[in-house]
Amino acid sequence: MANIMNSLYNMRILDDLARQETVIHKLHSLMKLLTTVSYLTVVVSFGRYEIGGLLPFLIYPVMVFTLAELPVKPILLRILIVSPFIIGIGILNPFFDQQGYLLGERVISRGWITFGSILLKSGLTVTAALLLIATTGMDRLAGALRMMKIPRIFVLQLLLTYRYISVLMEEVARILRAYSLRAPNQKGVHRSAWGSLAGQLILRTFDRAQRIYEAMCLRGFAGEYNTGGFKEIRAWDLSYFIGWALFFAVARMYNIPMLIGSLITGVIK
Amino acid sequence: MSHHKLEVKDLHYSYPDDHKAVKGMSFCIYHGESVGIIGANGAGKSTLLMLLMGVIFPSQGEVCVGDVHVTKKTLPMIRKSLGMVFQDPDDQLFMNTVYDDVAFGPRNYKLDEKEVEKRVLNALELVGILHLKDRAPFKLSGGEKRAAAIASVLSMHPDILVMDEPTAALDPKSRRKVMKLLTSFNHTKIITSHDLDMIFEMCDRTIVIKNGEIAADGVTSEILVNAELMDACGLEIPLSLQNCPVCRTKKV
Ligand SMILES: Nc1ncnc2c1ncn2[C@@H]1O[C@H](COP(=O)(O)OP(=O)(O)O)[C@@H](O)[C@H]1O
Ligand SMILES: [Mg+2]
Repeated sequence: MANIMNSLYNMRILDDLARQETVIHKLHSLMKLLTTVSYLTVVVSFGRYEIGGLLPFLIYPVMVFTLAELPVKPILLRILIVSPFIIGIGILNPFFDQQGYLLGERVISRGWITFGSILLKSGLTVTAALLLIATTGMDRLAGALRMMKIPRIFVLQLLLTYRYISVLMEEVARILRAYSLRAPNQKGVHRSAWGSLAGQLILRTFDRAQRIYEAMCLRGFAGEYNTGGFKEIRAWDLSYFIGWALFFAVARMYNIPMLIGSLITGVIK
Repeated sequence: MSHHKLEVKDLHYSYPDDHKAVKGMSFCIYHGESVGIIGANGAGKSTLLMLLMGVIFPSQGEVCVGDVHVTKKTLPMIRKSLGMVFQDPDDQLFMNTVYDDVAFGPRNYKLDEKEVEKRVLNALELVGILHLKDRAPFKLSGGEKRAAAIASVLSMHPDILVMDEPTAALDPKSRRKVMKLLTSFNHTKIITSHDLDMIFEMCDRTIVIKNGEIAADGVTSEILVNAELMDACGLEIPLSLQNCPVCRTKKV
């Protein structure tokens, strides 16, 4: 029971974090969005067998973590939540792709390399997305999406889904609390009650969603989610984006770890 | 709009499951009045308010605000002059911060951000929770949530304030605070409640509802002391008017 209430509080931690005022938070939301999008595109564009070339891309999340003064633990936890899916997708590779691959002295199956590559890529992309939310906030992010001329129906869908998740969670918490108080000696919910509990949950969530929607309409909501005025894009915002974009491009074209390696070995020779 | 008059003519409403919740109500509320709407649980108070706000539409009869009928077309205009505070503040507060929540209404009317800020700070100041503006609404106490919900409506500068059980689930001090706050507004007020002491203090006029019909409509001080009427409608005369429970002396 306590877990559910905890996760309810934690769920909005990304929004809490987004309210800080660091260098990164103060950047224009559109530029952060563009930076993230280019990061995702470049990371995903790497081939299946590439791991070394991906390593320089660790710099971006590390920099953002540091500059935005974000706590690592809650965000890492959220990455772990999706990790079963990633592992589920990647784990079959070592079995299907048995071809040998020479790594130093040892031969390992190429499947393990692709598995590692998938793991790394997913880790990086999920982290980048979470960092974007934690430094920008869902509302401003939606504003940025609108600036990019994404149709408002999609943006609204995204925002309301995000909002209603908490509505759903709150109802879950209430129902479970009521249940556990009257079934004190029980661990979890007995399966005879699952059906009616789930039914209740759906009905109640519908009801609440309906009332919230009504409350929104009463305050003049007409399909456009207004999140306040927009700041001008300053030269600094623009250079943040361009700087990262250049770095991503260079890191994509040249295998930086290899270059450094050969540079060092060259110097030694 | 002419004097923010609110008129209800022969209103009927049935829920989709054919439950008749409102059966032929008529009344008229004038500028500056504060009207209490009382009745037992399930009498149809909340349904009536929903009809006034145009959240649901009557199956028969009509609601007029000023000289304008409440229809789908006139809703944007109606909603500018009527502000409603929901029974459960959790239904009303859904943004990440109190500030954003209070700003939600003004922003929907496309006011520029300077004006929005002015209104938000003003509304928060009025209800006395300016210091909570950056907090998340779901982390506030019951009384603070209620104040935030009221501020979120005040920021829209409504002419008529509609409130569904504003003092329900509040502790005595918070209840007192909310009452003081509401008394300080000179809007036209429509308040539903079964907190009859609150109605007695705050409303000059009271409408009693019983099973979806108007059982009485008149001066509060006359209606609330009518023990027979109150009893028939599932209510009691206010505690402050009952005999003293300790010494049994009559108060009225
Ligand atoms: N969504 C609904 N569907 C069907 N009946 C409803 C619904 N909401 C309320 N009712 C019924 O309408 C009547 C009036 O309800 P309501 O206006 O909420 O009462 P009050 O606010 O006075 O306690 C009640 O008998 C209630 O059961
Ligand atoms: Mg009610």
